[in-house]
Formats: sequence, structure tokens, C-alpha cells
Amino acid sequence: MNQRIMLRHGDGGLLTNNLIRDIFYKYFDNEILTGYQDSAIFQMKAGRLAFTTDSFVVKPIFFPGGDIGKLAVCGTVNDLTSAGAVPLYLSAGFVIEEGFEIEKLDLIASSMSSICKKAGVKIVAGDTKVVEKGSADGIYINTSGIGKVHKFFNPRKITSGDEIILTGTVGEHGTAILLKRYELGLKGDFTSDCNPLSEIVSVLGDGIKHVKLMRDPTRGGVANALCEISDSYNIGAIIEEEKLQIRPAVKSVHELLGTDPLYFACEGRMILVVEKGFGTKILNCINMLDDCQNSQIIGKFDDLYSKVCVRTWLGGERILAILENQMISRIC
Amino acid sequence: MIEEDKLLIGKTVEKINKTITEDIRIMEICGTHTHQIARFGIKKILSPKIRLVSGPGCPVCVTEAGYIDALIKLLNYENVVVASFGDLLRVSGSCGNLEEQITLGKKVVTVYSPEDVLNLAQRRKGENIVFAAVGFETTAPLYAALIKMARKQKINNLFLLTSLKRMEPVIRFILEKGSVNFDAMLCPGHVAAITGTAPFLPITTVYNMPAVICGFEAMDIIASISILCRQLTGEVPVQLMNTYKRCVCDAGNTLALHLINEVFQISDANWRGIGIIIDSAFTINSDFEEYDALKKFNIEIQSSPNVFLNQCDCGKVLIGEKTPDMCVNFGRKCSPEHPIGPCMVSSEGACAAYYRYGGNKV
Repeated sequence: MNQRIMLRHGDGGLLTNNLIRDIFYKYFDNEILTGYQDSAIFQMKAGRLAFTTDSFVVKPIFFPGGDIGKLAVCGTVNDLTSAGAVPLYLSAGFVIEEGFEIEKLDLIASSMSSICKKAGVKIVAGDTKVVEKGSADGIYINTSGIGKVHKFFNPRKITSGDEIILTGTVGEHGTAILLKRYELGLKGDFTSDCNPLSEIVSVLGDGIKHVKLMRDPTRGGVANALCEISDSYNIGAIIEEEKLQIRPAVKSVHELLGTDPLYFACEGRMILVVEKGFGTKILNCINMLDDCQNSQIIGKFDDLYSKVCVRTWLGGERILAILENQMISRIC
Repeated sequence: MIEEDKLLIGKTVEKINKTITEDIRIMEICGTHTHQIARFGIKKILSPKIRLVSGPGCPVCVTEAGYIDALIKLLNYENVVVASFGDLLRVSGSCGNLEEQITLGKKVVTVYSPEDVLNLAQRRKGENIVFAAVGFETTAPLYAALIKMARKQKINNLFLLTSLKRMEPVIRFILEKGSVNFDAMLCPGHVAAITGTAPFLPITTVYNMPAVICGFEAMDIIASISILCRQLTGEVPVQLMNTYKRCVCDAGNTLALHLINEVFQISDANWRGIGIIIDSAFTINSDFEEYDALKKFNIEIQSSPNVFLNQCDCGKVLIGEKTPDMCVNFGRKCSPEHPIGPCMVSSEGACAAYYRYGGNKV
């Protein structure tokens, strides 16, 4: 095997076939993918399907707690989960820059394979393109996914009193990326929360009928996700600051930089809006999952408020506004 | 601990709200106080009779347009890289900002500490690194240390374009204006940690205005407001109090002051929206002039027309004459996404904090 990606790895010839066989089939091995057809053919049971796609251009491609491959699988799996679907099949498209180290591609594919197993999904279709050096930044991955929507999941209008559950701590993925990208040299446990959440749908079972909406708070973090829901349904919310869990290391780094972890991406958390009165019941189910043990009811939608507000720990209130711009470092 | 703080804060706030029966206005001079007051939602728990107004203590907000113009001009020199903290990138000069220069392919690098700048200069030896050194007494010692470190390490491709302000002259300027429309001052703990308490004494001794040197935790701010209220109601005499003794001693940080005195001299400064204030700047002195970007590139910071002045009220917000929501552009033409005035740019700017956290209208 050559040590670096060459343009010829993308020309459809022998090297392309070798790359697919030695990396992708090795890790994504399943009868649908390796059927050597131009399309994956699979049987689906009757019902509603969810279909989604996302492209991943993260920098750096390796970060504490994950890499671009793990992120590409988790991102699409979690998008399907937020649609109340059990994820089933993914496609994976790779755009690779000439000169990219094959060893790194192997690591990325290996990581995708592990996380697919954990999430119970198969990569059944794929594509590889190699672009000239300088035309891309290492590697980009696109994943699309299909899942089967739970028969009792029916997103519907959010009304006053509906409870808001967040399945864990805040802002860890965005913080890990920030520190690694800018090499800030801060010591501490800054690990991405990147993880698949597909088990949420199965653990809730028929109880999912009490869930009105799910959203994974990726770009823009928990704050933007809540603001978008509030805007869409034209109803305010009140969030209890003390229920928002922020790891001390994450909190410290944001205090230092003058940024707010609520606006930093999570890649392994879910926001669930639950019918009034059913918050605790849903919370008890979700808490059983390994990656959701820190779930909390963080607040509720409330028509007394016109926007998303945070009740601070000392009893004050502030608006949680949608972020208009990228968070920036402060002088003081 | 938080439960104890909560109880104590609750009792203190209750007492403050009972004590204050007439409208009072307290100016928080420091941008970090503005930010923290909004973040903790402090306005919501205080009596509406207590109005907190912002002052001129956000370094980004008071950086003049001509300074940004000079940085942009430097980017046209061959091999010049401008290093800056993030919040300066969106501040407008008379024609554009640094963020736009990045999109034009100019070399602007965002840094997170002065140490980053030193590393940048070491990594990019073939280029001249110009650091946008903006701030108050809080950051001035770091910039002085950076210059000394550069000399020690024989780094000769690092230059500072300074816009460093001093707090005492601007406080005096505001208090000597004809129309002071606030009753007490919350003084910046970070600045006092460097300078000591002396620069803030005249507020009480000369101008007879209640003043407290205050830290940045909720408890610091509430305790300080409580003291200011007690001084205003005559319960205790007007005198400078220090509720931030864990960081601020009367003499200040002598090491930091020594660094400032060694590297900088005192000059006049142009404050955005306010104008020239005598002796209100630190500039690089002749002993270290080889690190002064003005001398190296033979440029001047021109007094550019304050382009925003005709369009917004930042100047009046900075001296406590107006609250951000009194500006006609606030939340309409001027938002963090499209800031017209500098107070909307930095997260410590009064307008940005007001916009983001809802001001008095949660």
C-alpha cells in the first residue's frame, strides 16, 4: 500500500479498487456494501422513514475524544435519532486531498467502523474522490443516513408547560475543538462528547409518544437550539442555570476566553421537549443509557416569556439570545 | 457554598431594595462588570429604582477609528502580519475593519494571549508581526513583559501598535463634565489590582461621590451595590471602599507597575466617542522604541472622523448619558451581527451586553 493518497487513488483504476478494498471494505464490511453494485439494495419494513445528509469539514481532523470519521457517523446517526428514527443505513463519501497519509485514513475508517457497531448502523454505500493538493484541507466526509421512525413519534406544537430535557453536560465538543485548533496549551480534561445517541429511541419505546420534539445541539450549541425551537413555535422558555451541567474544566476555559459554553457544539447530547407532566418519566428512562446518565430537566416552555430566558443561580434572569456571530476572544 | 451565597445575596438584596426609596443611578466603569451584571441577571433582582449604567471601561469600545485605519494601512506593507484579539476584528475604522481585510487575503491572525504573539514572531521569522496592543492598566503589564521578553530573546520582527488607556484620567474627565447624571461609581477591580486604590480615591475625596472597588463575582457586585446604597442614603460616610481585597491591595501590584513604568510613558489619547483626554494613554518610551510599530513603519494614528458618531449614541453611552436602548439604532440597524458603533462589537460593550442579555426587559 502507498503511504500517501495520490491523485490516481481517485481515478477509478486499480489504486482506487485497492483503497476501497484495503480500507473501506476492511472496516465497513457487510453484505449490502460488498455486493459490488452501483446502489445498495435493502429491504425495509413498512412505515415512516427518515433520511438525512451532512458534510463534515472539521479541523483538526483528530481531536480528544474523536476524529472526523467518528463525528461523521455520530452526526448523521444523531440527526436521525432527533427525528425519532432508529438509524439503519449510512452512505459515506470521502473527498481526500492528494498527499493525505493513508495511515490516517485507516484510523478514520477504523473509528467509523467502531462507532457504526455501537450505533447499530451499517455503511452500505460510499464514494471516494481525490483532489489536487491545495484544493482541500486533508479530508472531508459526507454521510447520509436512513432510519425507521418510531410509530409513536409525532412531533407537534409546543405549548406552555412542556418540559425540556438535556441529556448531559454542555459544550464539550466545541471546547475540545477550540483548544486543539488554536493550540492554546491549556491543561485539563477537554474531551469531546462525540457519541451516537441512537439508543434513545429504543429505550423510550412507546413512551416516545410523550416527546414532542428532539434536537441535537450541534453548531450554536444548546443556546441556539433552544432559541430556534422557541422562534419556530413562537413561545418563550425559562431555563434553570443550576440544572445546566458544565464541567469545571470547560467552565474555566470559557471564563478565561470570555466565551459562553452554552453556544459551543455538543456532538453527543440531545434536547427533548416532553409533554407537560411527563418529564420525570422520560428522564428516568433516558438516564439508564450510558451516554445519558447526566440527563436533567433543565426548564420548560412558558408563555409568560417571549424569548428563552435563563434564571441565574442567584434568582436573576437574562435572555438567552441566538448567536449572531462567531464567539470571539476578548481583550480583558 | 452556592446555597450560602444565595441566602446571603437574597438577604442583602432585600435590604438594598428596602433602603432605596428614591431613584439612584450607579455607573459601572468596567466592561467586565457590565457583562457580569447582565450575565447574572442582577438588574432583575434589584429594585427598579436602582439603575445601573455603563461607563467607558471597555477597551474595544474606546479604541478610535484612526487606530483601526493604521492597522489596515500596515497590512498593505510587504510582509506585515497583524496579530489581534478577536473582539477588535469587527471594530470599524473610517473604511472597514480587520475582519474584512482577512476576506481580502490580508494577513491578520487572531491571538488569545501575548504569549501567542511571541510564538508567532518566532515561527514566522521572515515576516514583521504587528500586535494590536489594546487595553487598560490590566493588560499593559503583559504587553510590557512581552516587549522585554522579545528583547531578551533577541526577537526583532515583533512590533506593538499600542492603544493603551489609563483609567484615572477618564474618570476625572467624566466627573468634571457639566452634566454628571449618576450618583455612585462601581470601580474596576482588575485595574485596581494593578494600580492600587489611589487612582480611585479622588472620586470620594474630591467629588464626594460614593465609590467601591469591586470584584467580578455576583457576591462582589451585590455587596458593593449595598455599600454604595448605604453611602448614598447617609447610613455610612462617603469613602472609597474595597470589596475586592482578595486581589486588590492599596499599593497595587508593584511588579506590574514597575513593568509599565519601565516600558511605557504617559501621553494624551483620543477616546472613541469622547475625544482627546490629557495623559490618558500609555505609549512605548524611547528605551524600547525599536518595538514601536509607529516608529518602525513611520506612520501616525490620524484622528479619523468618527464615522459612527453621526449614526449612533455610543459616545453618550460610554459616559453614562444614555442607556443603549435610548439609541435609535439599537436592535434595529445596530446589532452584534451588524454593529454600527463599537459598544455593540465587544461582548463587554454596553450595547452588546444589553442586546444579548435583554437589558431591563427580560
